[in-house]
Amino acid sequence: MPYKIAVASSDGENIDMNFGAAHEFFIYEVGEEGEYALLEIREAQKEAGGLSFCQDGCKGRGCEGSHENQPRVDSITDCRCVICKKIGFHIQKQLEKKAVGAFDVEGKIEDAMEKITWYFHRMDHHQSLRGMANETLIGKEGRE
Amino acid sequence: MAKILDKQRYKCAMSAMQTVQAIERAIPVLHSGPGCAQKLSNSSGSSGYFSPNIYPCTSINERDVVFGGVKKLESTIKHSLDVIDADLYVVLTGCIPEIVGDNTEEVVEGFQDAKKPVIYASTAGFKGNNYKGHEQVVDAIIDQLLERSDIRVKNLVNIWADVPYQDEFWLGNLRELEKLVKELGLTPNTIFGYQRGLSNIKRIPQAEFNLLVSPWVGLNNMKNMEKKLGIPYLHYPTLPIGAFETSKFLREVGRFARVPEEKIESLIAEKEAYYYYYIERYADLFLETRVMSKQFTVVADAQYALGITKFLVNDLGLFPAKQFVTDDTPREFREKVCSYFKELNFGIEAEMSFETDGYKIHNEIKAHDYHGYPLILGGHWEKEIAKQTDAHFLNVSWPVNERLVMNSYYAGYDGGLKLIEDIYSVARTRFN
Repeated sequence: MPYKIAVASSDGENIDMNFGAAHEFFIYEVGEEGEYALLEIREAQKEAGGLSFCQDGCKGRGCEGSHENQPRVDSITDCRCVICKKIGFHIQKQLEKKAVGAFDVEGKIEDAMEKITWYFHRMDHHQSLRGMANETLIGKEGRE
Repeated sequence: MAKILDKQRYKCAMSAMQTVQAIERAIPVLHSGPGCAQKLSNSSGSSGYFSPNIYPCTSINERDVVFGGVKKLESTIKHSLDVIDADLYVVLTGCIPEIVGDNTEEVVEGFQDAKKPVIYASTAGFKGNNYKGHEQVVDAIIDQLLERSDIRVKNLVNIWADVPYQDEFWLGNLRELEKLVKELGLTPNTIFGYQRGLSNIKRIPQAEFNLLVSPWVGLNNMKNMEKKLGIPYLHYPTLPIGAFETSKFLREVGRFARVPEEKIESLIAEKEAYYYYYIERYADLFLETRVMSKQFTVVADAQYALGITKFLVNDLGLFPAKQFVTDDTPREFREKVCSYFKELNFGIEAEMSFETDGYKIHNEIKAHDYHGYPLILGGHWEKEIAKQTDAHFLNVSWPVNERLVMNSYYAGYDGGLKLIEDIYSVARTRFN
C-alpha cells in the first residue's frame, strides 16, 4: 500500500524546521517498493496548538498529551509519519493517537527518507530490523 | 529455547540491574526502551540510596530504531555523571539497541577518562534470563575494571554466590558464608551489600582464590577470572544448609586453602555441638512422625532445589519426591547439576527435572503419591498447588510474595536451624 510522509522543511532539501514552527509540510508519497516522490507542498495550519492543560487527570492511562484538537495535527493525519527537526512531547502524543509517527532528525531529507522508507518496508514485509541503525553492520547494499 | 507459559520464575537479562544495585553506590544506566526498568523492578528491598527503578535511561523510541540511539546514550551517560553521585556507572543494554546494532561498547569506551568508572554489560533479553544477566555484569566488572595484580594477599578469598534479589536471601546467605570462611582463619571479600562496594571490587585481583557457592551461576565468571587475573577457583556447587553440608563445606574450603586439619576439625566439632544442641532439644518434635510430611518437593532455581534437597534428606531424614529446577539451567551444565541430586546420603537419589512450565510441574505434583501431606517448598505459585494437594507449603524461591526477608538466611548451621523453624512453623499450624 502506498503511504505518505510529511516533512517539515523550509527549502525542500533539509529537515530544518521544528514541527510547531514549520510554515509548510512537504508531502511525499511512497510506493510499494519504497520509491518515493514529492506529492504536494501543504501549507501548515497556523495554529500549532500549544500546551493545554489536561482536564481529566489522564484517568490513569498515563499522559496522552493535551486533549485539545490540534489543527496542525489534523492537517497531516493522512500521513504515516512526520519528519521534523524537533517536536514536543505533547504534540507527539497527539500524533500518536492518530497513528502518525514522528521522527525528530536533522540533515538531508533524502537521507532520512531513505532510512525511514527502508524501515517501513521491512516492517511491512515482516523482515528483521537487525542492524537497522548501524550501517557498518549491514552496509548500504544490505538495503537492496 | 525456553518457554514461559505461565508462572514466571525469572526475568530477562536486563534485570541484572538488580545485581548492579546490590553493589553499594553503583547505578545502572539503561540503554533501553521506556518501561523496561519498571517491568523488572518488582523486587523486594531494592529502594535506598537510589530508587528501585528510576534509573537514567535513554528511553529509546522508533526514531532511534531507524537512526540509531548512540547519541542519546552518550548524552545520557554524560549527564548521569554530572547529576548522579555514584561510584560506578554500569550501562546495561536492552533488546532494541542490540537488535538494531547500536555500538554501545564504543560509546562507553569514550568515557574511559571520566571522573568515575563507566562500564557496559550486554543484557539484551533475547540473550537469556537474569541469571545470565548477572553473569554478564560480573564479567563486565572483570573485563573492564580489573587488572591482574602482582600482589597476593595471604588468605584473601573472594566469595561468589547466587543472584542478588532473585534469591531473596542473597545478602543473609552471603554474610553467613563470609562468617564461615572467616572462622576458618581466612579473609572473605564480597562485593554485594552493605559496606562492600567499589573498594572490595578493587581487592578482587589480590585474592588467593575465588570461592563459588552455586550449582552453575557464576562458573563462567570464575573461569574468566582464572584466565584474566590468574586467580584459581574452588567451585562448591551446593549452598550449604544445616550441619551435614556445612561441615562438608568447611572441610573442602579449608583443605583448598591449606588450613591445618586440626583447626578445621575443631571448628566443625564446635559448630556441630552447637547445632545438635538445638536439634536434640526439639527431638521429640522431629521424631513425632505425624507432624512432618514423609516426602517433599522443591520447586526452585538450581541453588535452592539442590541445597534444600540435600538438607532435607541428609539432616532431616525426609525422602525426596521429584525436584524441579526452574532457572532454565543452560544445557552445558544440566548433566552436572542433575548428578548432584544423586549424591545424597543413605544411597538415596533424587529424581529431578529442568522445567520452567508451572502447569506441567503442578500436574506432576498432583499425580504423585506423597504418602500423606506433601511438603512443598517453592515460589509463590506453588501456594495454589499446595492448597489443592493439602500440602505444607513454604515460599523460598522467587517470586516471594507473602513473606518479608530482610537479613535472614538459610546458609550455614544457623541457616539450617532457620529453615527448620520455617518449615515446622508451617507444619504446626495444622497440629496445634
